[in-house]
Amino acid sequence: MAEFTAAVYQNEYLPDGGTDVNAIVTVTCTGAGVAGKTGSGSAGEIIIVDTSGSMGTETMAAARKAAKAAVNEILDGTMFAIIAGSDRAALAYPRVTSGPGLVAMDSGTRAEALRSIDQFVASGGTAMSTWLDLAVTLFGSVPQVRQKHAILLTDGENREDAGKLDAAIRRATGVFQCDCRGAGTDWVVEEVRRIATALLGTVDIIPSAEQMQTQFQQIMQKAMSRGVADAQLRVWTPQGAQVLFVRQVAPTVEDLTSRRTEVNPLTGGYPTGAWSDESRDYHVAVRVAAKAIGQEQLAARVQLALGDDVVCQGLVKATWSNDSGQTTRIDPQVAHYTGQTELASMIQEGLAAKAQGDEATATTKLGRAVQLAAETGNEEATSKLRKVVDVENEAEGTVRLKRAVDKVDEMALDTASTKTTRIKK
Amino acid sequence: MTQTPGQDPAHPPASPGAPAAGRACPHCGAALDPAARFCEGCGQAVTAGAAAPGSSAAAQAAIASTATGPTVAGEASPGDDLGHSPISAPTHLTPVAPAPPAGRRPCTACGGQVGPDLYCEQCGTKAPTERDHFREEPAGWVAGVCDRGIAHHRNEDAMALAATPVPGERAVLVVLDGVSSSIDSDVASLAGARAAREVLRQRLPQGMGTPESRAAAVAKAFGDTVVAANEAVVAATAPDSPNPASATFVAAVLEGRRLAFANVGDSRAYWLPDPGQPGEPVQLTVDDSGAQAQIEAGVPREQAETSTHAHAITKWLGRDSPDLTPRVGELELSGSGWVLVCSDGLWNYASEPTAIAEVVVREQEAGATDPAALALALVRFANDCGGRDNITATLARVDAPVA
Repeated sequence: MAEFTAAVYQNEYLPDGGTDVNAIVTVTCTGAGVAGKTGSGSAGEIIIVDTSGSMGTETMAAARKAAKAAVNEILDGTMFAIIAGSDRAALAYPRVTSGPGLVAMDSGTRAEALRSIDQFVASGGTAMSTWLDLAVTLFGSVPQVRQKHAILLTDGENREDAGKLDAAIRRATGVFQCDCRGAGTDWVVEEVRRIATALLGTVDIIPSAEQMQTQFQQIMQKAMSRGVADAQLRVWTPQGAQVLFVRQVAPTVEDLTSRRTEVNPLTGGYPTGAWSDESRDYHVAVRVAAKAIGQEQLAARVQLALGDDVVCQGLVKATWSNDSGQTTRIDPQVAHYTGQTELASMIQEGLAAKAQGDEATATTKLGRAVQLAAETGNEEATSKLRKVVDVENEAEGTVRLKRAVDKVDEMALDTASTKTTRIKK
Repeated sequence: MTQTPGQDPAHPPASPGAPAAGRACPHCGAALDPAARFCEGCGQAVTAGAAAPGSSAAAQAAIASTATGPTVAGEASPGDDLGHSPISAPTHLTPVAPAPPAGRRPCTACGGQVGPDLYCEQCGTKAPTERDHFREEPAGWVAGVCDRGIAHHRNEDAMALAATPVPGERAVLVVLDGVSSSIDSDVASLAGARAAREVLRQRLPQGMGTPESRAAAVAKAFGDTVVAANEAVVAATAPDSPNPASATFVAAVLEGRRLAFANVGDSRAYWLPDPGQPGEPVQLTVDDSGAQAQIEAGVPREQAETSTHAHAITKWLGRDSPDLTPRVGELELSGSGWVLVCSDGLWNYASEPTAIAEVVVREQEAGATDPAALALALVRFANDCGGRDNITATLARVDAPVA
């Protein structure tokens, strides 16, 4: 049985008149088990592979191998399906036109699924909204499946009217989780990140075809290790208080603030998706009414709920003090993740500016990113940034944009921008 | 099972004699070894002086016996009760909490439900510790609330109440206000208040038949009470304390229609007749304070009580007490009304007897009609006014005599 614990890192002391409380809450899951085996309903997996005409022979061959590798990782008993996506979505496996759209994995269905992947043919355009919609329909046909996850592989830009993809993302949000991968450099990071972010998944680049198989294998292994089908982060705040933001800050930065649903008038729920044995850090900022010096106030209860059951709770407090030695100290965790969050936006904004030809802004933002990456000890970001900029002074964040940048490096920097590092506690 | 002392008069204990046997963890209620410093049940630290439910029940029985006849030797005497209380076991720097009530009280700030994490589920206010906010209701007609207030970081006020179940028969209201500049005054004030209550469980002496001899006997009884309270305060003071614990003292004893009172310092007793009843609201006690000295020299009350040295008390309990003799008085009550014994944390916001009487009338009209609710309302009133000091309000309801 999975167990959850919560730990809070904060400086609870506020100066006279202070109102804003910041805390990092680490939620840790142990004993998660494996997907579909923990009594919360069975698990479902859909593999979505781009089969548009832009997929060259080599990429298509690699995609077939990758999809097969993923199929081989799916545990027996898991419900699954395979979608071939182009300007429309086709159910590649199982070949059904009505009834349940997913079948249970066993040796027979596995062999059939592998054969169906061999029949992928690259042709047509790219209409990702249809891929997501078919996945929603398929998951909707198997109500006993509680844990719904998909892998999406694409190699190109979405070719649809503006708004179509976003509408499909909205329809899929809350229905299934989706990890997204882009092959090569012809796809758009921002576009695919929108899908992954809304569907509580990851986004990454697969620069070369030979890496694809390993990546798919890992994604599916990870998905199978998520024994806790779904959970909700809950943030209670006192009457009259305001939630400034709720962010996941580790392992990646995801702003959850706007995903609040009301649990009760004082409690908001935020989706977290499925859990394996892992830790996630959340940065919660709450504005409360100032109280008199010496008063103590609970600013937030941060909880994880499985269904209606609250399984762990962290208390975020506020104590007003006139001792500046207490009130001016910033909690190291809060400082670290504030820096990491800014790092993510500096990288994204810097690359966006660069793409638009605004070199001055790009230089400033990427310079700040270099500085933040060094300050917060994010070595991955540092090494990826150094492939895009020449660093003059790391501590001061002065950089020059490299004249010749490999597109792969730029996209790798972009997709990795939200990954954070932890500091020792 | 945990209760505030004497809360359950309907179930007097079968054996009032052995209070130590009933010592229980104030956190989880598990039985404690008399010498335990930590609870075996929940692991929480328990001070040697954690209040014992058994002892309060014994106290209840003791006063019941005094109401029906003289105390028999061998029954609970004041001293028996003290084995594990702060009185004989001073716990320096460790505030001793009165036993918490069964279940959690509603939030003291908003009335919301307090969660298992001890914060309000509505407004997030931290539930006070039992030392920072406690209540006593020895009988339905006698109740008190002792509260930290807002500005102070701990509650150095203390109270100890006793009452017979029969309304108007006999009640004891004791309030001590620990001086916040002294060390451990929170421990000392509670020890002193309880020690005083034990002495006052005995009926007041009647004297030799003349009013003068009765007055002298009552003065002697209150003098002995102050000495006992003072001993408890001193016992709670570290021998090497550079700033020994000190406290004010006020006590009122109601016996039928006769109200006797005594004070040292600036905590007060008031008699507040109901509107339309004979007599005016009156402050019974006379403060031993800088303000009172000025008033006696002709300075108007309001001016005197807001002057710089208004709250400098001229007499107190404690190792460095200059004079332990209380001012003592008696009043024969005619109609119905309230006996109010309180600390300056309350009367600071309504000093004149008519002013505090108005507050009492207003809170009753707002629904706080029984003593427990009214005491709570008075504390809330003081907190709403700023809560600049610890607040204690204790009340005895006096009904009109049956014709």
